[in-house]
Amino acid sequence: MSHHVTSSDIAIQGDHLDNSKVSTIKTILLIIAGVGTVISLLGLFGVFGVWFQGTFAYSWVFAYYFFLTLSIGGVFWTLLHNVSNSGWGTSVRRTFENLGSTFPWVFLFGIPLLFPQVNQYLFEWMNIHRDAGHHSVIDHLHHEDHLLYNKHWFMNIPFWFGRFAFYGIGLTLVIWFLRKLSTNQDTDPIPGVENLFRARFHSTYTLIVFALTITFTGFDFLMGLDYKWFSTMWGVYLFAGSALNSMAVIVLVCTWLKSKGHLQHVTGSEHFHIMGKLMFAFTTFWAYIAFSQYFLIWYANITEETSYFLIRNTGNWNIGMICLVFLHFVVPFIVLLQAWLKKNPKYLSIVAIYTLCMHALDHYLITIPERGVSLGRINHEVFGDIAPAIPGAFWGDILAFVTIGAAFLFVLLRALGQHSLYPNRDPRILESANLSN
Amino acid sequence: MSTTRKRVYGYLAEFKSASALYKAAEKVRDAGFRKWDCYTPYPVHGLDAAMGLKRSILPWFVFFGGITGTATAFTLAYVTQVILYPTVVQAKPTNIFTIPAFFPVMFELTILFSGFTVLFGLLGLMQLPRLNHPLFASKQFHRATDDGFFIAIEARDEKFSPQATRDLLADIGGENIELVEEEQD
Repeated sequence: MSHHVTSSDIAIQGDHLDNSKVSTIKTILLIIAGVGTVISLLGLFGVFGVWFQGTFAYSWVFAYYFFLTLSIGGVFWTLLHNVSNSGWGTSVRRTFENLGSTFPWVFLFGIPLLFPQVNQYLFEWMNIHRDAGHHSVIDHLHHEDHLLYNKHWFMNIPFWFGRFAFYGIGLTLVIWFLRKLSTNQDTDPIPGVENLFRARFHSTYTLIVFALTITFTGFDFLMGLDYKWFSTMWGVYLFAGSALNSMAVIVLVCTWLKSKGHLQHVTGSEHFHIMGKLMFAFTTFWAYIAFSQYFLIWYANITEETSYFLIRNTGNWNIGMICLVFLHFVVPFIVLLQAWLKKNPKYLSIVAIYTLCMHALDHYLITIPERGVSLGRINHEVFGDIAPAIPGAFWGDILAFVTIGAAFLFVLLRALGQHSLYPNRDPRILESANLSN
Repeated sequence: MSTTRKRVYGYLAEFKSASALYKAAEKVRDAGFRKWDCYTPYPVHGLDAAMGLKRSILPWFVFFGGITGTATAFTLAYVTQVILYPTVVQAKPTNIFTIPAFFPVMFELTILFSGFTVLFGLLGLMQLPRLNHPLFASKQFHRATDDGFFIAIEARDEKFSPQATRDLLADIGGENIELVEEEQD
């Protein structure tokens, strides 16, 4: 920090993104997202044939959940910043809120999962439930599949729909309300501490909504791909990746905004140092959780549990899994140990991009290996016999990723342009601007 | 009357507040002194930058200490469990692929060795424990643990001069400037 930041350095009317400068990129993103969504929906509902419909359903879940973790992570950092009464991050808190505010839009991309045309390829337990037809589902399961009979209280289609609605509505209300509290303060002629205290209070119990959402979306959308498999570490595992990579997105957004001349005076190397330290912490936390999950399953060697790793430690998937150990943990761990690197926005951004690539690999290995196994079982005439992978399905993954990614970037840019880029009338803005750690 | 020889330790000056000390520290740093220190009742943020202190070498000790811990644990587990006395537990292989079973102890020894390197490296770099410090000869110095903010410039610094250093400390706001002498026997 070159000098002590005083209130004369703070933009009184706020630091606004010039929307005209990003309109071109926003238009391009909107076109990509729009065209991609149309093609994807046609594909998901069978216009391009059963083969594409089935394989693309998995691509969709992969891309959908990848971007959902980033949005949910934005909500998490907002909640954590409020509830821990933090002063360090007030100048970057708006970026947390903006990232979190993409949640409702990204969540909408999960709507296709509600339709049997899509979820018949993903969630086989639903097919077995639907086989009951007019008869009682419980009776049907009692004869067909005792495991599903026992899991019926949780895994039943009406409850699944109810949970889906809860995830979407719950976290949307949370982030919408908290962001509104924060942005209302920007134009408040008498900005006191009231909004800040309200945000802190309401961030306490809403953390529970967040925890339920990250855990149970993971259970319903990813663990449900194989209804026989379970892991109690699953929610924490997804949370670790979510917190790490949403912080990576926040670092990238802040670096970009600074390069465009925004966030001047209020953010500096100290803020990037803290954000880098959080990335470092969650890199380690991810490894700790990922290993704990693997270790217990590997040691106990129970059939229901090992299926997940048996698929992923077969053939080329195993190369990916071993890569995760070294490239998702060892490399960023060593790199992020350097303090000078974390203080430099440019170098930290390179690490952030790298971490996001590893997150994509992580989520690819979570979702996609299930594809060849499930689809081969559901319809081997179209998809071929049960195999580790389905050749050619990779292009669908790219299509889904680009589509939802473009939509995610569009709503993020839109959110950034709506309000001041930092809470200029927050009582703690000077404390944050003069941060030293 | 006993004849004790005394050796000049250096000048001790008191400052009014933490911010006065901070600004004075920047001036002492800019004057080019190397062997000097600040004494405050509580940690002052950013004072190490104002004093021109370089980053400690300690993190490197800890890094290599931690690596030593990892390697020690791996060697210990691998040699005993795989080479000397291969132990088949739950049909797990007795080769390098048993490594997940070694991870907990590798993790623990990494932490243990890092912790020890922090503790002993820190004590070593600070030259602790020591029984006495020349500044304890000063009557006012005990206030550094209560409400006093002090700068002490040592006489063994190359830039030290009996008159100019005293003047410098007075110029930058030092009060109660005192020549501290340590007794030698």
